[in-house]
Amino acid sequence: MAVESAAVMDPAGLKAIGAGLAVGLTGIASGIAEKDIGSAAVGAMAENEALFGKGLILTVIPETIVIFGLVVALLIS
Amino acid sequence: MLNPRQMSRALIVGHKDLLEETIETLHKMNLFHIEDYVEDDSGLKIGKPFGNVDSISKTLVKIRSIASYLGVKNEATEKQKVSVVSNKLDSMLEELDKEVSERTDRKNALETRLKEIESLKKDLLPFVGIPLDLDLYRGYDSLAVFAGVVKGNIETEISDITGSYELFTDSKSGTIVLFIPINYKEEISKALAEFDYRELKVPNQKGIPAEIVSMIDAEKASIIKQIEGIDADIAKLKDNYKDFILASNEMLSIEAAKCEAPLHIATSESTFFIEGWVPSDSFKNVENAISKATMNRVFITELEIEPKQEPVVPVDYNNPKIVRPFQEIMNLYARPRYKELDPTTLIFITFPLFYGMILGDIGYALILMSLAIVIKKIIKSDAVKPLMDILISCQIYTLVFGILYGEFLGFPLASVVSHGEVEAGLIPGFNTIELFASPFGGEMITFPIHRTHLVMTMIVFTALIGVIHINFGYILGFINENRKHGFSAALLEKGSWMVIELGILLGILGYFEVLPSPIVYAGVIVFLAGFLMLLKGEGIKGPVELPSLLSNSLSYTRLIAVGLSSIYIASTVNMIAFEMIWPEKIGVMTVFAIFIFIFGHALNTVLSIIAPGLHALRLQYVEFFNKFYEGGGRKYDPFGYIRKYTEE
Repeated sequence: MAVESAAVMDPAGLKAIGAGLAVGLTGIASGIAEKDIGSAAVGAMAENEALFGKGLILTVIPETIVIFGLVVALLIS
Repeated sequence: MLNPRQMSRALIVGHKDLLEETIETLHKMNLFHIEDYVEDDSGLKIGKPFGNVDSISKTLVKIRSIASYLGVKNEATEKQKVSVVSNKLDSMLEELDKEVSERTDRKNALETRLKEIESLKKDLLPFVGIPLDLDLYRGYDSLAVFAGVVKGNIETEISDITGSYELFTDSKSGTIVLFIPINYKEEISKALAEFDYRELKVPNQKGIPAEIVSMIDAEKASIIKQIEGIDADIAKLKDNYKDFILASNEMLSIEAAKCEAPLHIATSESTFFIEGWVPSDSFKNVENAISKATMNRVFITELEIEPKQEPVVPVDYNNPKIVRPFQEIMNLYARPRYKELDPTTLIFITFPLFYGMILGDIGYALILMSLAIVIKKIIKSDAVKPLMDILISCQIYTLVFGILYGEFLGFPLASVVSHGEVEAGLIPGFNTIELFASPFGGEMITFPIHRTHLVMTMIVFTALIGVIHINFGYILGFINENRKHGFSAALLEKGSWMVIELGILLGILGYFEVLPSPIVYAGVIVFLAGFLMLLKGEGIKGPVELPSLLSNSLSYTRLIAVGLSSIYIASTVNMIAFEMIWPEKIGVMTVFAIFIFIFGHALNTVLSIIAPGLHALRLQYVEFFNKFYEGGGRKYDPFGYIRKYTEE
């Protein structure tokens, strides 16, 4: 009996792992996507400060990925 | 309000003798945006600057360099009469220049000396432990001198080689000074190499090193004192001359701008032509003022704006005062074009709304609002003020949503029943009122709205806000496109999106049998019609963008997602402070818990400016603006000046 209960995982635990993965992995993905854009945007801004708005927009575009991850995590839990 | 200020294109023509009066009048009115004349084959030449522009520029450069040296900042002072400033300008500037350059020369000399003695001291320090006059280190014919640093004791090694030597060591720094007969030089230097011998430069000085160092220290202190004295003098000079510098800088800048104005305009042998832009409602004023100043001898007329000139029309915002701070958000992206809608007013409504929806906490709203008000009071900078105004309007919405959500620094204000257990709220006796069941996720809509318990409903609700906001963008895009390229282009490029959405909506309603199921087919037909319109309007780019409809509206779920992350940070801080650390009896741990509480919330306050601000901004820039906004208008920059430090 004891062996059986150890083998079956608690569904709540699996849900929590899934939610964690959803946020964590999408967070990493956003980070990877944003790092190149961000450095290029800072470079462009150093040349012309008026590009701040455009740079900001381009930099935050991949952020949607992590927001989706967060939403999925909220839906799971 | 939704359109930039109406502009008129104006041409001023007159005899060159009247140019000075005309420019004087235009400058005073500060309304006329001069269009730079570019020489072409029309035979007209760029005008020549008036009078002694060279000497004015020279004086101006001098004043500005003194101002930057003294660190004079633009701050409010009493206005001074132009005639008074111009009378005393030369004498006062000469006097100021003399005082400043005398002090800078002395300061420079002192600083050079300071550097010299500091490097000398560095060289001397290894020898401090050896009480030997530096003069004794050199000038021998039959002796070799080794002065350097070694590791370990070398005395036995040397006495093995020769008995006639003199060794001084300083065990603290590892410095040795060794005198030996010159014929043992090679041998000794080999032996020393075993001990990591590193030669030191012997300073070219006389006297005992320790004494020289203490003299240097005394000199250094006196030099630093003198430099401090000079700095104090400079600060005093700055205080004494600040008003004069600001006033004369302004006066000369104005003079220089007026003298150089002819460089922007076209002239012939005896006439001048000034082309430019005037706000339409001020055209009559400019016309009257110029006629009056030149006794009707200068001709001014309004020209028609040709369609190809549309991109060069200078753009001036035309917004009510309360909306104006939000123009900074527009400028950060791009100024609207002349024929475009100016969305500042819409941003004034939706930016703080989104910010408030995300943050929604009474505690943070009060902290940030008082912070913004204090900063606005203390810092009187034109760059900071609009930002603080924006922050304040954001906090008003945050407060409203905070009351709606019933949150204070992450604590719920009302008690709430969760999983059959009652969690107490911050206000005793304030219970959550259940209003009605939400259609999503089996959740219950309550007052206050507990975001953490209404996740599903809030996700759907925020996505719905997204759909509305995006469609609003399409409507604006339709208006813009209609203005620029006519009705059919607008219908195909922007209207098609709404047709597609209608098709999708009908399809969904039919599929879920909210409407009779044949409606699904109608939905498909409408969708295809919209798709074809889009294909015709935007080409292949349109269908490629189609999925953005979904991703854009889902992007608005950040309104709840980012908000939840902020609540969780706040409630985690509260939990650590009050449940994990808070002791039974008041003691050291109490202080620690309070520290965690304050530090954690300070951190979250900073995050509360950045995260909701950036996300709300992004929803405007990426999701909303993409639907209609182009931007890239020229700034309206009238010829003239608003005097701050002087008056006529």
